Amino acid sequence: MPISDSTNQNVFTLIPFNPRICNWRGMDLKGAVKDIIPWDGTLSSSDFSLSAHTFSEKWKRFNHSFPPWQWILCPKHHLVASSHMVEGYLSLENVCHIKSSEEKEESNTSLTQKEESNISQGEESLDHATLVCSEHEVNHYDFHIIYSASYRVPVLYFRSYHSDGQLLPFNNEIEKDLPGHTAKLRSESKWTFMTQEEHPYLKRPWYKLHPCGTSDWMKLLFGGDLSLNKNSFIIEQYLVSWFSVIGQVVGLKIPLEMVDTVVSNNS
Amino acid sequence: MSAAESPSSVRKVVVHLRATGDAPILKQSKFKIAGTDKFAKVIDFLRRQLHRESLFVYVNSAFSPNPDELVIDLFNNFGFDGKLVVNYACSMAWG
Repeated sequence: MPISDSTNQNVFTLIPFNPRICNWRGMDLKGAVKDIIPWDGTLSSSDFSLSAHTFSEKWKRFNHSFPPWQWILCPKHHLVASSHMVEGYLSLENVCHIKSSEEKEESNTSLTQKEESNISQGEESLDHATLVCSEHEVNHYDFHIIYSASYRVPVLYFRSYHSDGQLLPFNNEIEKDLPGHTAKLRSESKWTFMTQEEHPYLKRPWYKLHPCGTSDWMKLLFGGDLSLNKNSFIIEQYLVSWFSVIGQVVGLKIPLEMVDTVVSNNS
Repeated sequence: MSAAESPSSVRKVVVHLRATGDAPILKQSKFKIAGTDKFAKVIDFLRRQLHRESLFVYVNSAFSPNPDELVIDLFNNFGFDGKLVVNYACSMAWG
């Protein structure tokens, strides 16, 4: 039998070779194929759920100051039931954000310190996270990472609401919470960058970061390091790398350890 | 160098700026920066040098550091061969 690695099957069919002669050195071929057909920066739907689980595991392990990302199982789409493979999405809900920018600075630094002390001391971090929400007026954020079947990449959806449950408008509310560089980018290309659209599963209006550039910069991100053992590595690492970029837009940071362990595990 | 800056307290990190995609190459691609500086300083430096507002900046393990990260932390985690390699590209398409 030729190599049974599901992620490579479609690639292999494009290359004319006799598996009876070549299969004994399949690993070499894998590298060769990679050189011939460059990766296009996208993920299959099953790769997405694989990568999502790696991402949420690492988040749970290294980011104690935030709640964990949950994998939400959902029924398949009615319209594309036969082709739609993804059975869920990632969800991080009820993240608090204080309004004043000074407070934001403070909370950021305390979170960083938390991350460091957590390595040695373990738990006890949740109290600090709630301290951030104290008596100030707080905006709550929900984030969902959903696979886009048309772009074949993950897409970040989010919404924001007050403590009483009232949804926040983008202008004058959400945009004030976003990091400065995001606001600048957004003002240059307003709704092409962040748009309000129907949540694919909840059927409610959520904001999303438009994914049409994602595969291009993901390709760039992974293309820089030729020493990487591609394919399975990319799939595992995909969401962590993706979120290191996307998270900055909405002010969410991933701990360095999340990236670091992936590298050391594979080198 | 002023007396206040003792070499032991301010550790310098060599940053190697590497152009990818269609980004122009800098005349001086390596420079030293205090480890206590934030990564935002590297990004700002690149912006000024390249006269571009939107840049895509990432390090050599498929990761785009948050501007708040300290340079020394990035170096300790991702530094190689005595330097921190920072890749940059100009065409950052968000949407």
